[in-house]
Amino acid sequence: MKNILISLFSIFIIFACSSTPVEKVDVQETKTVDLTENSQEETDDNVVMSDVDLGEAYVTVLFDYDDDTLKEESLEELFAVSRLMKSNAKYTLLVEGHADERGTREYNLALSERRAKAVEDFLTATGVSSFNIEVVGYGEEMPVDNGSNETAWSKNRRAELFFIR
Amino acid sequence: MKRIIFLLFLAYEFKADLVLEITESASKPVKIAILEKNSNSLSGQEIINVISNDLKRTGEFKVLGMDELLSIPMNESEVIQRDWLLLDVDSIIFVEVQNEDNNLDIAYSIFDISYNETEDKRRVLGLPDSLRQSSHYVSDGIYKYFYGIEGISSTKLMYVTRNSDTHKLIISDADGFNEQVLLKSNNSIISPAWSTDAKEIAYVSFENNRAQVFTQNLATGKRNLVLSSKSSVSSPAWSPDNKDLAFTSTKDGNSEIYTINLKSKKITRLTENLAIDTEPAWSPDGKNIIFTSDRSGSPQIYEINVRSKLKRRLTTEGNYNARASYLGKNEIIFVHRSNINFNIAKLDLGSRTLEVLTSTKNDESPCIAPNGNVIIYSTKDGNLSYLAGINISSKVSFKLPALYGELKEPAWSPFLR
Repeated sequence: MKNILISLFSIFIIFACSSTPVEKVDVQETKTVDLTENSQEETDDNVVMSDVDLGEAYVTVLFDYDDDTLKEESLEELFAVSRLMKSNAKYTLLVEGHADERGTREYNLALSERRAKAVEDFLTATGVSSFNIEVVGYGEEMPVDNGSNETAWSKNRRAELFFIR
Repeated sequence: MKRIIFLLFLAYEFKADLVLEITESASKPVKIAILEKNSNSLSGQEIINVISNDLKRTGEFKVLGMDELLSIPMNESEVIQRDWLLLDVDSIIFVEVQNEDNNLDIAYSIFDISYNETEDKRRVLGLPDSLRQSSHYVSDGIYKYFYGIEGISSTKLMYVTRNSDTHKLIISDADGFNEQVLLKSNNSIISPAWSTDAKEIAYVSFENNRAQVFTQNLATGKRNLVLSSKSSVSSPAWSPDNKDLAFTSTKDGNSEIYTINLKSKKITRLTENLAIDTEPAWSPDGKNIIFTSDRSGSPQIYEINVRSKLKRRLTTEGNYNARASYLGKNEIIFVHRSNINFNIAKLDLGSRTLEVLTSTKNDESPCIAPNGNVIIYSTKDGNLSYLAGINISSKVSFKLPALYGELKEPAWSPFLR
């Protein structure tokens, strides 16, 4: 035991006495993952949605800044969507929520999903089955107008409704 | 033709190195000269170049050029003190390259002019292909000697670029050199985050047409979907011990904060209410998480104890406070709306004093360098987003302009040693 202590102590002395502090440098290699080629990577999930262009939205509704309340002027169009969906139970609707560029990306993601949800809630309240509605939030990632002014922002704060089946 | 396009593409890939510009320097920078000891070698010059640029880039050093010197000593014994006092130089840094076997080591010493003696002597062990990185370590040693704060020249930055429909997640050295593409996608990538051991990263990718969180091993490129869900999963944040990942998801119907143990995959739900809860960030001791919630009607910052789940509201000033992170134990930084602008602000959790740190229009994604003294964030000039930064103690400000398209979502690496 005493020997161990002595050798530990001498190791300590050696380190303490070495005149110049020394640092060792490591260089880390990295790998690139490329999703832009057609070889979309297989991930263990079942949520992959077909990457098809859904074309123009059937209906687009707009929102106020940092708000997910449906505006009165949107209701008429949403009632029409509701009637259409109730007339044929096979229709499935995708509601995409979006936000303007102001504020943080993650908060905007949540806000945009809430906007899509507000549309879903309205439709289910009018008797549409929630099984026939999918909602997704895209945050500020997909603006329709790239400008940094109120005109652009007001267009970007939106929910777009697509019939997918 | 296909081949030509491919080659052009490669050339484009390698071309881009970001250049950091100082927009405001320190009021009283440390004046130094960096000289090679007893020699004048090619690698010596290259190393001195990297170190000079590193130190200039901090905005807290004035590095004299060779043409500004009155005499050029080969070593400490040749220093004519009077020449250097005339130039008001604080210290001379002597750099010595030791290129043996397959190593490239850099020894350096700091010679203080007013004391007329060597004050500090250190050595960095590296390989010939790590010349830049080894030099960055020297820069960090010099920085620490003068300012008492760890230097960050040897750390890395992660960020997202966007050029029309191509989104790239990139890592570069802190000076913008040595860009490496980690992920290339036709869909948005947001919220990149480093693991605390800097071996893995996490980010949100919209590649499957909704927000999903992936982790990716830097060395192998191996990716893991953190949670398979029909709902969005976003805002990943590694716990300080690297075992858990905090995230936001709407999997239970509404945006809530969760943690997942990366080994056992056990999920713990932290928040439960009808408001938006998002943007979790861990306290340095891993006991608390701060997050954004609009439960009061506008987004504000809250703190929750991971164990007891006790919550408290931290921000009270203003109607938009979001995406917070801890700056040490007692301060937080976040995005704060003042009048019409979104800026980066700092809140002292003790005194509750709020200080707005930036003055541009649409500042977001603030992130702190591992030395706790430099904040980098993304901002916008017209339609172009780029990165900007501020040094808290010296008030130096800088920017990293985008070379093409957009440059956003910065994430500073931990220390790599």
